[in-house]
This record gives sequence, C-alpha cells and structure tokens, in this order.
Amino acid sequence: TVSDATGTPISFANVAERGIQNGTTTAVDGTYSITVAENAVLTFSFVGYQTATVQVNGQSTVNVTLQEGDALDEVVITALGIKRQERELGYAVQTLDAEDIQEVKSVNLVDNLQGKIAGVTVTPGATGVGSSSKITIRGEASFSNNNPLFIVDGTPVNNNSVFNFTNEAAAGFQEVDFGNGAGEINQDDIASVSVLKGPAAAALYGTRAANGAIIIETKSGGKRPGLGISYNTSFFMDSAFKLPEFQNEFGQGNSGQFEYVNGLGGGINDNISYSWGPRLDQGTLIPQFDSPVTLPDGTVVRGGDTSLYSGLPITPTPFVSHPDNLKNFYETGYTAINNIAVSNGFEKGDYRLSFTDLRSESIIPGVNLDRQTVAAKLNFRPSDKTKINASINYVNSESDNRPSNGYGSENVNYSLVAWGPRSLNIDSLRDYWQPGLEGVQQYSFNYTFFDNPYFILKENRNSFGRDRLFGNISISRELTPELTATVRSGMDYSNEKRRFLRNYSSNRFRNGAYAEHDVLYREVNTDFLLNYKKQFGDISFDASAGGNRLNQYAQTTQVQTTSLAQPGIFSLNNAASPIETFGFTSEKRINSLYAFAKAGYKNFLYLDITARNDWSSALATPFSAENTSFFYPSASTSFILSNVVELPRVIDFAKIRASYAEVGNDTDPYQTQGTFLSQTPVNSQPTFTNQDFIPNANLKPETTSSIELGFDLRLLKQRLNVDFTYYNAVTDDQILSLPIAVSSGFSQQVVNGGSVRNQGVEIILNAIPVQTPEFQWSSTVNFASSRAIVESLPQEDGRLTLGFSRVYNNSDQTVFHQVEEGGRVGDLYGTGYTRNENGDFVLTPEGRFIADPTLKKLGNYNADFTVGLTNSFQYKNFDASFLLDWRQGGILVSRTLALGAVAGQLEETSFRPEAGIVANGVVNTGTAQNPIYVQNTTAVTAESYYRQFYDRNHEENNVYDASYLKLRQFSIGYNFVLKEGAFGIFGDVADLRLSLIGRNLFAFSEIPHFDPEQLAVQGQGFVNGVEDMSYASTRSIGIKAGINF
Amino acid sequence: CTDDFEELNTNPNAPVNVQPSLLLRKVIYDYGEQMSYEGFVAGGLLSQHLTALDFNLFDRHALKSPQLGGDPWPIFYRNLRDNEIIINQSQSTPAFAVYEGPALIFKAYMTAGLTDIFGDVPYTEAFKGLSGTVQPKYDLQENIYLQPGGILDNLDQGIAAIQNYSGTIRLEGDVLFNGDLQAWVRFANSLKIKALMRISAKENVNAQLQALYNGQNYISSNAQNAVFNFTDGEPNNFRMARLRAGDFNNFVMSETMEEVLEGLNDDRINVLFRPRANNSNRDNYEGLINGIDASSTSVSLADYSLAGRIFRENTGMLDANYMTAWETNFLLAEAAQKGLITAPAQQLYETGVAQAYEYWNTELPVSYLSMTGAYAANGNDPLQQIITQKWIANMINGYEGWIEYRRTGFPVFKQVSASLNNGLIPVRMPYPAEEAALNADNYKIAADATNDNSINVAVWWDE
Repeated sequence: TVSDATGTPISFANVAERGIQNGTTTAVDGTYSITVAENAVLTFSFVGYQTATVQVNGQSTVNVTLQEGDALDEVVITALGIKRQERELGYAVQTLDAEDIQEVKSVNLVDNLQGKIAGVTVTPGATGVGSSSKITIRGEASFSNNNPLFIVDGTPVNNNSVFNFTNEAAAGFQEVDFGNGAGEINQDDIASVSVLKGPAAAALYGTRAANGAIIIETKSGGKRPGLGISYNTSFFMDSAFKLPEFQNEFGQGNSGQFEYVNGLGGGINDNISYSWGPRLDQGTLIPQFDSPVTLPDGTVVRGGDTSLYSGLPITPTPFVSHPDNLKNFYETGYTAINNIAVSNGFEKGDYRLSFTDLRSESIIPGVNLDRQTVAAKLNFRPSDKTKINASINYVNSESDNRPSNGYGSENVNYSLVAWGPRSLNIDSLRDYWQPGLEGVQQYSFNYTFFDNPYFILKENRNSFGRDRLFGNISISRELTPELTATVRSGMDYSNEKRRFLRNYSSNRFRNGAYAEHDVLYREVNTDFLLNYKKQFGDISFDASAGGNRLNQYAQTTQVQTTSLAQPGIFSLNNAASPIETFGFTSEKRINSLYAFAKAGYKNFLYLDITARNDWSSALATPFSAENTSFFYPSASTSFILSNVVELPRVIDFAKIRASYAEVGNDTDPYQTQGTFLSQTPVNSQPTFTNQDFIPNANLKPETTSSIELGFDLRLLKQRLNVDFTYYNAVTDDQILSLPIAVSSGFSQQVVNGGSVRNQGVEIILNAIPVQTPEFQWSSTVNFASSRAIVESLPQEDGRLTLGFSRVYNNSDQTVFHQVEEGGRVGDLYGTGYTRNENGDFVLTPEGRFIADPTLKKLGNYNADFTVGLTNSFQYKNFDASFLLDWRQGGILVSRTLALGAVAGQLEETSFRPEAGIVANGVVNTGTAQNPIYVQNTTAVTAESYYRQFYDRNHEENNVYDASYLKLRQFSIGYNFVLKEGAFGIFGDVADLRLSLIGRNLFAFSEIPHFDPEQLAVQGQGFVNGVEDMSYASTRSIGIKAGINF
Repeated sequence: CTDDFEELNTNPNAPVNVQPSLLLRKVIYDYGEQMSYEGFVAGGLLSQHLTALDFNLFDRHALKSPQLGGDPWPIFYRNLRDNEIIINQSQSTPAFAVYEGPALIFKAYMTAGLTDIFGDVPYTEAFKGLSGTVQPKYDLQENIYLQPGGILDNLDQGIAAIQNYSGTIRLEGDVLFNGDLQAWVRFANSLKIKALMRISAKENVNAQLQALYNGQNYISSNAQNAVFNFTDGEPNNFRMARLRAGDFNNFVMSETMEEVLEGLNDDRINVLFRPRANNSNRDNYEGLINGIDASSTSVSLADYSLAGRIFRENTGMLDANYMTAWETNFLLAEAAQKGLITAPAQQLYETGVAQAYEYWNTELPVSYLSMTGAYAANGNDPLQQIITQKWIANMINGYEGWIEYRRTGFPVFKQVSASLNNGLIPVRMPYPAEEAALNADNYKIAADATNDNSINVAVWWDE
C-alpha cells in the first residue's frame, strides 16, 4: 500500500522497478502488486509528493509512506544565489529546469526562453544565426534601459550587444550585430533558470536588477558517488521560415520599358531596378545583364562585364520570371551541438567538466557561427565547516561573416528584395567577378547602388572571434552553528576582435576599405556576506549583511581606412587614406552595502525585509562625489492559507503573497561633464567640436517603486495549479537624454524626469487533464499582459522622442518612438496621407494622395497580451511536447513593404490594369472651409499609384499587425532503458534517449513577407517595432540523442 | 565608499577644453564641406543648376522631403555653437584674443546664410544651451541684419577687433587664409558688400557701399578668395566623390542650366558638366526639366548630362566657396548699375566674368565679353547678365543661386514639371519639424508669421 503521511491511501501512484522497464500504478485503495527480482529497487512517485526509493531485499510486501513535498517545496534560486523554498516567497519567481532548456536548444540562449515564462518577451535579431536577441521582463517601463540582469552561479554576466562605429549617411560601414552577451551561455551546462520578475525579487542585486533578473545555476557533479558521463548531440536542419511574396508578372524597368546597356543608366531605365518594366514570360527578348556579348575574338562574356567590354552589342535573351530566385538563394543551414560531460561525486564534494561544440551554417550563404564552451564546476568541502565552490566557463565564438543590418547596399536584401527586379536570375550572380578583373571589379546586375549579393557575403565579410571567461570562486565558513561567513569573487571578461573587409568596386567603397574593431569588457564583482540563522520557538530567523564592489571596464577601438592601395589586401598597412580611429573607454564602480532578514512563523507566515545602499561612480562629477549614494528597501510576505484554515478538500494548497520594493537605477558613465570630440582632420591637422549633448552635474538616480500581489492555488491533488500575479510599478526621475531643439546648439540634454506606471498581470496555469498508468497529458499556460503608461514627462507638454529609426538621414523617412502623457511606452509615430474626418483619403483632382506632414500615432509595438502554451504527453516510454506561442496586438512598420512595393517587387503590386488605378478616396469639390467630398473617379497609372501609396516618406501605409500564433518548438522522444551491462559498458543506471525536435516551425500571421518577430538595429542600438530589411528567419527541424551512464 | 569616484567618472576619451584653433579649423571646414554638399544635392536643385532623376520630392518642391541633404538648419546651429565658444574664449582669455575678429566675422557669415534661407530664426538666444536656454526665441530677420550684435555689426566688430589686435600670437587653424588677418578684413568687407546688397531693397545702403568701394579693401582678386581647396583623396575631398555611383548619377544638368549655358555659348559647360552618353547628333549636352514625376516619366540617364568630373573624379580642382573676388565684383557691378554707388559697372562686371572663368579653370574666349557674355548683350538688361553670370559661377555655393533668384528674379527659373507646391517657386525653406516639436512656443510665433511655415512667404528683404 502506498499512503500519505496521514495514512490516506494514494491512488494512481507510480511504482517502478529501477533499471528496467517494469512498472505499475496503485489502485484506488493505494494497493499495488508487481513482480520483481529479489534485489530490485522500487521507486514510488506521485505528483505532489517526494519520490521514495525502497530496496526490496526479498520482501513480499512493501508499504510506503510518501511525504508531501515536491512541487510544494520546490526549491528556487533567489537573489544572491540563495536557495529557498518557493512557499516562503512573497514575490513571483518562475523556474525552468534543465530539461525545459536542453530538449530543444537554440543557438542563442535567450531565444530558448520565449513562451516559457509569463511576462518574458524575447525578440530575435534580424541577421540570422549569431544575431542578438532582446529580452525584457514585464514590458518596458524605463525610457532608457529595460534590460534584465543575467547572473550565472551568483555572479553577473554581461548581456551587451556592442555595435561597430558607423556614420549615418549612405556611405561607410553599415551596422553589424555580433550577438548579445547572454546569448552564448551554454545551454547544456544549465541546471536551472529562475526568473525574478519584479524589483522585489531583485532588490538585493542592486540597480541593474531593476528590470528583473535571470538567475542561472550551472550543473554540479551531483551527490551520487562515482563517475558519470553524459553525451548528447542535436542536429538541426534549417530552412527559411518565410520569404517575401513577390509578383512575377513584370520585370525590371520603368513605365513598361527596359533595356540593359551598362547598369549605370546607359540603357533604358537600367540605372535603377524597379520592376515597373515589360511583362515577363511573353516571349520577349531583351538585352539583360547576363545576356551574352560576343567579343571580336569569339569569346563570350556577359552583358554586365562592362568594365573591359562596354559598348558592344548585347544579344537579347528571354525576359522571363524567376519566382523561386530568392528561395534558391537561401541555402539549407544546419546546426550541430555536441556536449560531453563528466561528473563525479566524492566524499568531500563533487565536480563536473563539460565540453560543448556548436557549429552552425546559416541559411544565408557564407554566414556561420562556431562556438566552443568549456565549463568546470567544483564543490569542495575540506572540512565540515568550510565550503569552497568554483565555477569557471570559457567560451570561444567565431564567425567568418556576420551580415550587415538595416537599409543600405551592404545588406543583401537591399539588392535582392527591395531592389531585386523580378526578371533577375540571382543564380547568374554566383560568378561575381568580371573576367580579367578578379579581385578588382565585381559583376552585378546594376552598378549604381547595388552590390552583387554573393560578392557581399563571400568577399565583403564582417568576421569576429571572441574569447570569454566568466565564473567565480567562493569560500564560506561556518563560524558558529548560527553564523556563516562567505566571500565570493567573480569575473566576466571578454575580448573580441572584428574585421571588416570591403573589396574594390564596392558601392560604398570604390577602392575598398578595411576596419578592425576591438571590443574588451571586464567586470569584477566581489562580495562578502555574513549570515545568522536561528530558531526561536515557532519563529525561524535568518539575517544576513553583506557588501559588494562592482568594477566595470569597457573599451572599444575601431581603426579603419576607407580606401585601399592594393586591392584584396586587408591590412592597415595597405591604407590609401588616412587611418581613422574611433575609440571609447569607460569605467564604472558601484559599491554597495546591504542587509536582509527573513522570518518565518510556524509553517504559514513568512516575512522578508531587505535594504541596500549603492554608491555609483556614474553619478559623480569630476569635482564631487556627493549625490552618488542611494538607498532602497523592500518587504515581502507570504501567507499559506491552507496551513491555517480548513479549506474545501479540493484545495490542496493556497498561498497569498504581497510585496513592496524600491530600486534605484543609475546611468552610464560620463553624463555629468561635457567634452569635445575629435572630428575629420583637415589637411592632416586635428579638429574638434563640442559634444552634442548638454551634461548634467546634478543627476539623481531613477527610482522604481513597485507593489506586487499574488496567490498560488493548487487543486485536485495538484492536478490543477494556478499562480496569479498583479503588479503596479512606478518609475520616477528617469534619467534620459532629452532631445532639444538644435537651435540651442545641442541636440540632447541629460535630465531627470518623467514618470511611468507599469501595471500588469501574469497567470500561470498548470494542469494534468489526463493521468492514467500509461498515459499522462500535462499542460502549462503562461499568460501575461502589461501596460506602461506615461504619467508625466520632463517637459511641460508635447511628446518626448525616445528614439527613431530612419532610412537615410532624413527626418521624413523616420519612425519616431515618442511618448506623451497618458500614452504608452512603445508608441510609434510617423506620417501618412491626408484624410478627412471620416478617415477617407482626400485626393487631389488628379486622383493622387496628398502628403500630411503632421506626425500621427501608428500604434504601439508592444503586445496587448502574450500566451505560451506547452502541452506534454507521456505514453509509456514515449513523450511528446509542443509549445505554442501567441502574441496578440502590437504593430510593425515594414521597410521591406515600403521599399519592395514602391519598387514594384512585391505581390501587392501585381494588379496593374492598363487603365490605371482609381485610388479609393474622395476629392474635395467644395472649399477648404466648407468641403464637399465626392468619391474619386480619376485613375493614375499603376506604377504611379503604388509608388505613392507605399512611399517610404510616409509610414502609415506600411504598418502591419504583429500578432501571431506560432508553433515555437516540439519534441517527440523515446527513452530506452538499458539493461545493466548492455553492450558491455553501461552500468546499472544508463539511459538512452532519442528525439525528433523542431523550433520555429509555423506561424499564423497577417504578414505575408517575413517572420512577425522582428528587431531592427540602428544608431548603435535595437529598435523595436520596425522591420528593417530583415533576412529570413529559420525553421529548424532535427534530431537529438543523449546517453547518460 | 566613494573614493576615486571623481576620477573614475572623468571621461578619459576626450578633452574638457580645447584650443580655439582646433574649433576654428573645424568650423570653417565643416561649414564649407557641408554647405558645398548641400549646394550640390539640394541647393543645386532649388537653384535649378541640377535636376534629380528620381527620389526627387525635394526637386518637386516638397521641401520637407529631401533624399540627400536638404536639411541645412543643424549645419548652421552646430557650427554657430562651436564658433560661439571661440568668441567666448577670445574674449575671456587674453592669449586667445587673436581669434575674436575672425570668429565674429565667421559668425556674421554663417548667420547671413541661415536667415537668407529661412527668414526669422532663433539668434540672440540661440546656441546658448550650456547656459540653460534650450528653447530660444526667434528674431526678426530685420533685426538680425541691423541690430547691435547682428550681421553688419559683427562684421564691423570683427574688423575692429583685428585692427585693435596688437599681440604677436598668430591665428592658428585658419584654413581660409593661413592666419593672414588682413585677408580676414578683406573677407569681412566683401561680406558687408553682400549683406548690404541683400537688404538694399529695404534699407538705404548707398553711403556704406560707396565707402566700401572707395576703400578698395575687399576681396578683389582670385588669389584673395575665401575658399577651401578640396583634395583628391579622402578625407578632404568633395563628398560626391565618396558616395555611390547611383547617388551621383541621380543628378543631371537642369534644363534651366542648359539653356543659360548654351545661350551664352559658355565654355564652362565642359567643366561643370560632362557630355551625355547618347550624343548621337553631336548635341553633347542636354539638360532635364526640374521636378519630373519619376513614376510616370521614363527617362534614360544616357540622354542627359551628368555633373562634371570636377565634382567626383577630380575634386582636387574644386573649391568650397565662402566668398570670392568675382562674387564681390558682381555685387558692386549690380550696385553701380542700380545707381547705388558711383563705379564703372561694366568694368566690374567684366572683371567678375574673367575671374569666374578663371575660378572654374576655363579659358575665357576672347570674344565672350563682346558677344554673348557682353554687358548688355542682345539688348539684355545688364542686371540679368550680372546675376546670371554670378548664378553660373555659384554652382555648389550652398543655396546662393536660389537666394539671389529670389532677390533679383534672375535668371528666369522654369516652373518645375510636376510641382508639389502649386507651381510656385519656393521663396524660403521651411523650419524643420524638430523645431515644431521641441521649441513649440517660439516656433508657433514664427510659423504664424509665415502662414504656417509656408515656403511661399517671402523673407523680410524679399518682401
């Protein structure tokens, strides 16, 4: 019989013989029977109870009492790495286990969190494998900084994305994304990920955890003595998730005409690659860039080989469509991840060593990422009173090419999607040098703006190599039974070298270019902590006091030449123009003292109090360190109702929690004093200009005050669990770079001001709808919704511009991120065409739209709510799991649509009647004061209509609803239980698992052209809500095999 | 807990103070470089020197939708800010006193460029953000020209500062005159002549102009020009040399320019433009009407003339133009022709033409001044000849061609092909949208005075 602590029988508990596939479940009265070997080991398990293991030793009856526990007493990692029982906590923490992370891995750790944690939003980058992904917890409440803090084994690690130096004009290097720091934390080494969502959970980590903290614990050697080895391999095949839908009826040209002569304007409309040209597939013969040119000596070159052979007749070739040209351009990518780990528990501790090799070839030709990780962890107890822990991780990441971001000729989507004419046979571009000019002159379909995409990806590369070391060592000593002292020091160090290669004949660098970019980052955190623990009767008491010193050092140096003496030699020694250097070094220190106490009364009431004081060097001026100190407290309480009052029997557990917390937030270094900046030298002599922002010597820290309420309810023998959280946080005195009128001489001013209230709810539902001895279906739903409303702004009225995204340096081609009082953070503004009060377009008598220069709200890029739904099924040794991810609401402004439709490439423009298009709108036949609107009846040419409707100066017509329902990941697996001694090598507890896995498989979305999840890069940072000539994202399907012995 | 914080938060990357020479070099170069680029990609369209083939809403006179350039406002204010720092340094530190005169003169020069383009602009309260004024009020153009601290006053103050300077510390960072203070006085006097002619319809400037002419201490030969000589290689080449082929190829000779140059049988066409690719019937040069509707017009670049090699391949031959002898002589010729001063108008004109030809590296044909380029050729109004000659030579000189057209009506501009401004030639640039958003109260007053920031409301001197 299996029963609980009160003697009540437990029905449907699992009983299994360890090591082999033999099991049963208990009957309604808790009894069971099973035939086992004499020396078998039986395990008894049931949801809500701790698993028990019993040696049979020949007994015929084995009665077992299961202790309550398991989910209820789930241990979670909280601030400062302190393990606590979840029941004690007065705030929301959500935890993922190793299996949640490791079954279907992603290249970027952050992507693997999407949909799995209520309130966590992940947006992947736009440039394929190796891109940064942006993560936020509970939406965006700060105007300037919404990044959560990442902690590995108790020490902060950076999640920086450092971009190269660029200039805004349509020249120079475009921005390249080299990945975010947290993305390269190795998933195979993770034991758990705890997300501390609110400031209460994070108060003890200080300012950087104001936006929540993601606490990662790596795997230890484990308590089990003896050597353990595990190996697993995952192999994914990657393909393009979604490609633009093109029109395939009209080819290159304008006004229906086209003839290629030199791709520079020598022919009819061959200077630019609109697809407003002749109809395709009509049997028409037209000279094209890949049409043959026969030289006098009989050799044949191509029409586009103009540098040596211009002016010769080009033999016309069929003007045909290439519906799959982009599809064929993308390749099948793969990602292989192999991990081997050795672990060992011994008398005085344990260790684990792990090596992981990740290789990924992108679907984008020539783009890849290789990453090797070595992790070592040691827990050592030299005496009963002393513990030494060390966790060391070394990561080496490399890529031969990271593709350029954004709108411009270094992004292949510029020449393939926006301006890739539909008559273009992309395959003809594979041979990308002009004959006789290899290494000097590219061959392309156009020489005005567009580079050959293969030339860009294979020759004009942006490579990098990064060494990173992070980890910590801690020692703790029990001074008395009540008092323990701990000292810990950790470091995150990374050193990265980037190279930017540009060949002769590149559009932006006619004589080539070369840049080297070194990025160095070092952060050292040193802590001490004294802990006092004692039980006073019914009251348990636990208090700690400690201190932390954070030293942060960042250095970035880009050295470049924008012209090369000899083609193809990428070295600064080969510079043909003065070498330019851009560098920035910054240093920051935060000293902190903190204390916290927790008390428990019996087993139902828990109270935590924390207090922290930070001193940040970033708030100091060069003359004074006053005003650098800030203090913030928090309190939280947990009340376990089910342990106090008799609740209906259906309720197993009920807990109510509440917390209040404040967190301060400082700023980046050097905001308190102005400097002069070096500018272009003139005749080799130096020049300087004043910086463009007005510093502020009186900066105060931002503060966030937050209230959080929630409950945790477990019903029906814990087959239904509900966790509900409501939070309400106000962030005041935001530190921001306020845009100011340049007539003041400056464009930004650093100020404190503004207030944002962020409210939201999170609901986590766990259910086990079906549970039979052989089959179990469990389901988890994460629901989150948050709204950050601006309550006040630093200026009296109007709107505050937080950022913008531009095509060129043109204020008309701009999406503005602006906020106004009562508005939401994430509101996007842009321009459109004039409408009347009914919302109809008001057209000119000629039937054309009228530009309306006033900025109007396009929408908000944040979701109204998000839902993550995981369903897991278990049948005997089979299991399957699906994660569906639903995002409702939010908008995306699409550059692909704006440019690709203006240029006549996208399917939206396939309707081109001879008679022209009558725009849907009205014409004012009255006066401005007394308008009389009549429906427009005047047609304009299709080309004219589409070019105006989607014009990039006006964003309103280029907005999509960003909602989607996505099949995020799935896995179907089978567990083999290996018999002892199988294949002669496996011990008694070896297991082998095979699974079919997939990620980012399918989405319902109104957006026809690309993955609805988009993040743009511009101005050395991320821009949400804008799709900026993105590359196709990937759909991954693969297999995984893992063995433990 | 705050040990070393002062030092830690002192920016190690950049200086807190700099020598005025480093700022002066930057201001002069940056202004000239940027305004020369503006003068090609935006000023060249408004002046009808060039036509844009595509991406040309600006050329169709939607002046708020430029593709390249077309946003001169911040160029003025950033450089005026740095220039103001030089003035403050020169007035507070005796060792820097030599910078006062040139900085005041350059302030007057940039201010005139600013107000001539926009009309009323923030001035007396402007570029003072560091002392707390981040929403400067707008000043009337009349006051900007005439009041103490205004353009004319600053030119006088600048000259006086130079004349009163008795130190031996040289002016450094002077990329115009290499520290020659007397050259700055000539520059200032030429700028005075220009400023007085600008406002000559509003003010009686005769006596001042006559005195300047009589003094003869203005830029009178090309050797004295205020110019910066672009280089062939980076980084001091003309910006069109660095941009993509397509950016350069988007600009061709305008029809207005073609008619003027061909009408004058002007050899400078060979320098300013290049023959079109499709030159079948020996008609080498072809201009295109400004402001076409690119979505309904199929044009072939090969049928039109691109700008000359001097603007892309050989920019070592090109100058950024701040003030020249020919511009001064044309201004004086106009003053004499109009009877504002007593001077030989035709002689001044002919000197100007010869200097302008020399400036553009072209041999003046012997017959030019007696035939098509003659002072009153074919019964033309001499005024038209003077302004037209200046207009030709002013290519890439910011927005000057358009500004002088507004003032004089010469040369006669064509209506653009597909105007987005009801067929009108704009007479001012609109204030940028940022002013409406960030300096709203003051902007509103200025916008109200210009019929809601209309580009069809004339500035004060043009009323």
